[in-house]
Amino acid sequence: MAVATETLHAPKDYKSELKPVWCPGCGDYGVLSALYKAMSMCNLDPEKTVVVSGIGCSSRLPGFVQTYGFHGVHGRALPVATGIKMARPDLNVIVVGGDGDGYSIGGGHLPHCARRNPDITYVVMNNNIYGLTKGQVSPTSMVPLASLNAKIDPKRWKTTPFGMTEDALNPIALAIAMDVSFVARGFSYRPNQLSDIIAEGINHKGFALIDTFSPCPTFNQDQTDDFYKDHTYDIPEDHDPTDKIKAFALALATENYPVGVIYRNDNKHSVLDEQAYLRDRYHDNVDMDQIFARNLSYTVDTK
Amino acid sequence: MSAGTATATTDVVLRLVGESGEGTVSLGDLLVKMFGSMGLDIYTFQTFPAEIKGGTVMYQIRAKSGTTLSFGDAVDVLVALNDEGFDLFGKGLREDGILLYNSDVFTPSPSPGRTDYALPVTTLARAEKEAIRHLITGEALKRLPPPVNIIGLGALLRLVSAPLEPAERYIHDLFDRKGDEIVRMNISALHSGANYIEEKIGNKRTPHVSPMKRDHDIITVTGNQMIAYGALAAGLKFYAGYPITPATEVMEFIAKDIPAFGGEVVQAEDEIAAIGMVVGASYSGKKSMTASSGPGISLMVETINLAAQAEIPIVVVDVQRAGASTGMPTKTSQADLNLAIFGVHNESPRIVMAVASVEDCFWTMTQAFNLAEKYQCPVIVLSDQSLATRKSTIPPPDMSKVHQETRLLASPDERAGGFQRYKDTETGVSPMAIPGMAMGIYTSTGIEHDEHGDPGYTPELASKMKDKRFRKLETLQMTEADRYLKIWGDEGKVDVGIIAFGSTEGVIREATQRAQADGVKVAHMHLRLLNPLPINAIKEFAARCDNIIVPELNYTGQLANWLKINTDIEMIPFHKDEGIPFIPNDIYQMITSISA
Ligand SMILES: Cc1ncc(C[n+]2csc(CCOP(=O)(O)OP(=O)(O)O)c2C)c(N)n1
Ligand code: SF4
Ligand SMILES: [Mg+2]
Repeated sequence: MAVATETLHAPKDYKSELKPVWCPGCGDYGVLSALYKAMSMCNLDPEKTVVVSGIGCSSRLPGFVQTYGFHGVHGRALPVATGIKMARPDLNVIVVGGDGDGYSIGGGHLPHCARRNPDITYVVMNNNIYGLTKGQVSPTSMVPLASLNAKIDPKRWKTTPFGMTEDALNPIALAIAMDVSFVARGFSYRPNQLSDIIAEGINHKGFALIDTFSPCPTFNQDQTDDFYKDHTYDIPEDHDPTDKIKAFALALATENYPVGVIYRNDNKHSVLDEQAYLRDRYHDNVDMDQIFARNLSYTVDTK
Repeated sequence: MSAGTATATTDVVLRLVGESGEGTVSLGDLLVKMFGSMGLDIYTFQTFPAEIKGGTVMYQIRAKSGTTLSFGDAVDVLVALNDEGFDLFGKGLREDGILLYNSDVFTPSPSPGRTDYALPVTTLARAEKEAIRHLITGEALKRLPPPVNIIGLGALLRLVSAPLEPAERYIHDLFDRKGDEIVRMNISALHSGANYIEEKIGNKRTPHVSPMKRDHDIITVTGNQMIAYGALAAGLKFYAGYPITPATEVMEFIAKDIPAFGGEVVQAEDEIAAIGMVVGASYSGKKSMTASSGPGISLMVETINLAAQAEIPIVVVDVQRAGASTGMPTKTSQADLNLAIFGVHNESPRIVMAVASVEDCFWTMTQAFNLAEKYQCPVIVLSDQSLATRKSTIPPPDMSKVHQETRLLASPDERAGGFQRYKDTETGVSPMAIPGMAMGIYTSTGIEHDEHGDPGYTPELASKMKDKRFRKLETLQMTEADRYLKIWGDEGKVDVGIIAFGSTEGVIREATQRAQADGVKVAHMHLRLLNPLPINAIKEFAARCDNIIVPELNYTGQLANWLKINTDIEMIPFHKDEGIPFIPNDIYQMITSISA
């Protein structure tokens, strides 16, 4: 981790001059504040930190942070971040984005990021909806199935006015199954706890996924802040996150969602260590002229 | 190319056909090694079956004293290891050519003019193994393959009157550690093949391959290999890719050596991830690239656009294969020029280059990295299957001639007090900051942005920033575009001018030389830079040509169309798209038909 050694950074030091563009009451404000605080808790050096995102309301976040930022294309934040971290292991890399960005269009990258286990902290602002495109279902939407003759407000779930035709996915259970080496759940209306979790994720050496309930009051009138206030609880202190079976049990809860660190595997190896080993071991092993010489088919001296 | 002296001129075209996995390719590789060690100039062409295992491969080798520019028109010696190969690829043999066939497998119907040599390869090879049966036992004996290829090698070398010594040396190099018996079996096999043919030649006319003295060392390498080496020499530090024929080898060659240069390779989960990683790595300051073929490049299009908009230097190699969709992955084509130039939504600046020969793969790659760094944008480099797998004999590149450009970095002064990452400059190039730099903080973004990188959508900003980005291509076009091309053939006024790109360079040069020998005035411009086009040079060239042919391997004439958009020169498009390269005669016929 690249920590500022000479200065102590307060949360406000991570705030950029750019004003967030989110709607009033958007859960993402809470995540942003918690992120400032977590970065301050870890005293990250702003000039050695990159916040990477895809596309979505939540993905606008890098611009609001006074660190290096990368605001890329929809769903590809993890590959970009992996490239940054692999090329420059000295940088702190934090990825942010939405549930659509991370679990739908970018969902294919998640298991592979888990396999590589780079030292990256990924905060998903899960509002159970597509915010930026104005209210379509996301893979974590909890909309009743069409076959239940659900009375759905067509103004709200716009592309599925009769209800969902597929099931929601469970990102926490998936992440544990993929063996993401740090899996946590946060809630933007519990900001202090969220900054603790993010800080722990930053301090974790490996890939950390923090799925954070971050309600969208504009397009999701079901999974609101009140809904989550009523349906979340703190993970009991005696939970052992290294116990995968227990972690699964927590992840599978459907009525009440546990908030806190659910799973961690501190013994998982990382692509960063593997690559460092290779660079070390084969450092200056050959130069270009020697590479060419391997392909010699005719030499003047021997003829 | 190489200056050298030959004891006698050599120019032989050999074609090997057989079941893939049956050793056809390894026999071809052996011959390339032998001819290469004799100092000859080699040019190969390989075409593979669609099957994963089995199917017929064709491996054509031209060995020449002096520069070899193509794999030749007609085959002098056809080596048919099975009848299917003979049926599929036998037509390329000259009417008075030589056929050497595996008589253990099939007997071709006779043809007047052709000289046939039956070689019972399998029987002879088995006999060699039998002969040492008493000397080795058990598993070792079971695992010992009969020396089929060495029999074939001996026969072929003798058939073209080439010396056997290089092959003997090679056998020692390869088998000395396996023990005396194995060495002796192989040497004996070599002579057995040679003697068998010797008796049949009698006083029949055969082609001659004579060793040649060179005044410098020679390496034998493929196009894919030189793409990889060019990238390493250019300072590549990060490669991410996803396997695809015929581009995979680029990744394989890089993976083997990049750790020595402090870099790394990732096999990504798909091409979208690969290009994303490449963009991330370059954003953080490392020279980065990927290579793929049509289907993979299609998946990368969105992120290539991001690199253009966010102004991140990246190099993307497209080793073109034939056909739309899955098409013909093992065949060749030049049909991705449109994709390289136009493959983007909206518009964004990118540089497109094309490699022209195995040797050029190296130099154009070093230039591709330099242009990417200099203009902070994507550079797409077009190669193709025929060049990717082509083996050529070239002098090892002179590393002292490799120049490494690095991106313009913002000075501390430029960073102090509100750094403008996307500063609107005269050249369009803005000084860049790399994460870790003091006071360089900015957000790199694909969203339209102001000079600081902050999002903005006003009409004034939109036109100003797009103009700034495209200005980089104008700068390139005005200052140096004319450097990335070569002109061959006659100077001054000519009857026929040829404008082309990519792997066809050698073939066109050979055809041009042939037409010149007939007294036709011909000139040939071969473009390495396709976007932006070196317009002035093209216009100057066109002005001295009575007619202009644009030969290319695609269906719609993509280069001709691109030239039509950019210039008002009259052209005769000449395109074919059959999955195989031009032969010199295709171009020669075209030249003579027009000059007549
Ligand atoms: C390739 C591509 N497809 C579609 C879009 C349109 N799009 C932008 S954001 C988005 C979904 C946003 O949802 P989410 O990721 O959950 O972020 P939120 O806005 O909810 O924070 C979509 C579909 C796009 N920008 N790019
Ligand atoms: S639409 Fe929803 S997610 Fe987007 S800014 Fe508004 S409240 Fe937030
Ligand atoms: Mg969302």
